[in-house]
Amino acid sequence: MIARALVLCMFLIGIAGLVAKRNLVKKTFALAIMNSAVVLLFVLEGSSIGDEAPLLGGPGASFVDPVPQALMLTAIVVGVCVSALALALAYRLYKAYGTLDVDELKRLSGHE
Amino acid sequence: MSDVALALAPVFLPLAGAAMALVAKTLRGSGPAAAMEAAGAAVGLVLPWAALAVLLPRAAGGGVAFVVSGWDPAIGIALRFDGLAWLVDALGFAGAGAAYLYSRGAGPRGPLFTAIFLIQTSALAATASTADLFNLFVCLEVLGLSSYVLVASSGKPGAFLAAFSYLAISSAAMVFFLVGLFGFYRLTGSLSYEGISAALAALPDGGGTAASLSSACVAAAVAIRVAVMPVYGWLPDAHALAPHAVSAVLSGVLIKTPLFALGRLLEFLPAGPASMELLGAAGAVTALAAVLVALSQKDAKRLLAYHSISQIGYVVAAWGMGTRVGLQAAYLHALFHALFKGLLFLSVGTAADAAGGRNVYEVRGAGASLRRAGDRRSITVVAYAVGALSICALPPFNGYASKGFVGSLFKGEWRYWVLFAAGACTIASFLKLSMIFLPAKEAPKDARTAEAAPAGAEPPRMSVTASMKASMILLAGLCLATAAFAGRIMDFTGTMLGVGAGAPSKSLYAAPELAKAGFGACLGVALFFVAVSKPGKRAATLVRARPRSFAGLVLAFAVGLAALGARLVLFP
Repeated sequence: MIARALVLCMFLIGIAGLVAKRNLVKKTFALAIMNSAVVLLFVLEGSSIGDEAPLLGGPGASFVDPVPQALMLTAIVVGVCVSALALALAYRLYKAYGTLDVDELKRLSGHE
Repeated sequence: MSDVALALAPVFLPLAGAAMALVAKTLRGSGPAAAMEAAGAAVGLVLPWAALAVLLPRAAGGGVAFVVSGWDPAIGIALRFDGLAWLVDALGFAGAGAAYLYSRGAGPRGPLFTAIFLIQTSALAATASTADLFNLFVCLEVLGLSSYVLVASSGKPGAFLAAFSYLAISSAAMVFFLVGLFGFYRLTGSLSYEGISAALAALPDGGGTAASLSSACVAAAVAIRVAVMPVYGWLPDAHALAPHAVSAVLSGVLIKTPLFALGRLLEFLPAGPASMELLGAAGAVTALAAVLVALSQKDAKRLLAYHSISQIGYVVAAWGMGTRVGLQAAYLHALFHALFKGLLFLSVGTAADAAGGRNVYEVRGAGASLRRAGDRRSITVVAYAVGALSICALPPFNGYASKGFVGSLFKGEWRYWVLFAAGACTIASFLKLSMIFLPAKEAPKDARTAEAAPAGAEPPRMSVTASMKASMILLAGLCLATAAFAGRIMDFTGTMLGVGAGAPSKSLYAAPELAKAGFGACLGVALFFVAVSKPGKRAATLVRARPRSFAGLVLAFAVGLAALGARLVLFP
């Protein structure tokens, strides 16, 4: 139960960072934190039926559920792509305007 | 070739084309590289039509459902290529093909753009036929990632910021999608739609609160991609600042495919009908609210972007009925909208580039600028006229058929009048947009345009190339053809979706319907004069100045999610 509460805290920290931080790089970190929280949630759930590595020829009885781990492998890859692209965009914005502050950028790029 | 292999062709052919475009990047010498890139584009955008043609009888006869590579259904990826997948693929390849043709002339060009464009097309086809929750997640992420890159590919700094906002909000929403997926996996131990549905049915209360909340997370996350109220805020910037060809695909195809994919999932969930009903009601409100904002815009492409939201509102409203006829009406409007909105983005984008501005209050004489830019036969202006008349739903254009069909589903309900009002506002805002084609009146006021005034004195800012014209002619032709054969297309989509040929194609041209269209048009003209009057302009400035922030976008998502969750949990 404590583990779940901690995962929830991590998730909320991510959301708070995404909304409150004005720096684009910090927003990207916040997204990554949210994503990691969900990854941990899946892995935690998968390990509730056992915590041995699911290998052929292993000890047998108490394997973790391998499906959530397989899913999260994909979700991590997707998350890395998102972070990389977000950082690339932030870098291009910094090169164009010399700031990472989202409000400042909005003003400089003339958004209505 | 087996049906299963063929059903995967619309997904894998664009991927193969993308690989060829990347190979082209490594080739030395511009000749072979260009040939390789063009071949890749042909493989990715033209060959799938052959596969679709072969698959047509099979899709009409119920479709193919299979697990990729024949794995055990418990761990494999389930796909379903049925009439709906065929229709959505056709919509996607038509929109993407025409837009790619335009981009060959107007840019962005190059093998990297081609590769990403094709990856996006492949993800569209995959999204249309997926029947597995996690695969839907991956498809939506691939679709999203490629579209963020494409939005940014215009190279304007504003587009980078728009792409970043779009990325941040939709990735945050996808995390909620994963939470919903977690809920379903925990309840059912399954990820395929059928498996989830069967396991939920076996539970005593159909999964109860947990299943309802999971459905709400998934539906709200997809709703962001569809840009229905209140989670539409990322769209105007992204669509307005993307290159014209990309705007055409984003608005024509990309916001609709996730909707139809979500519909496929919701069919299997106990909470499905209630979610669709709520989303449908939000759609009807969206149709009117977004068009009012559109009416207040001064940037030509932003005005079109708000119209995309408004038109997707019609689609979502019809889709939200949850019936096959509703789905048919939704698809029909989605298809026609893809054609005419694609055409509008391309023609207005071309006109704005030629005229050197996008402010509808200032740009005048776009027709003359276009002629200077090499469009001697006024193809762009004619294309714009076809698109505008279609979106305004004037008979006999195709928008009249699809909007009439959507409206006929709601006879006697509040939504009927909301959609009617949205139609009148559409006419008003397109009259406003058409002002850019008015001849330049008296002597230009500011010095910059004064220099440009003597015809031919200034070199044109851009030239309208053959492939841009070909693309606009193609889309305009498709608009007119779908208008001429609207009845046949209704029957065809009816067969594909299992409705049968009972669409109201005849009654659309009955006297009361025509009178209503005429009344709507008069109302639209009146509204137009209100909108361009002094008080109207002041109101427009107020609407444009409303605060729009990223935090607001997250808040809107939270509100949407909470509303959906509350609806599903409290009133099951």
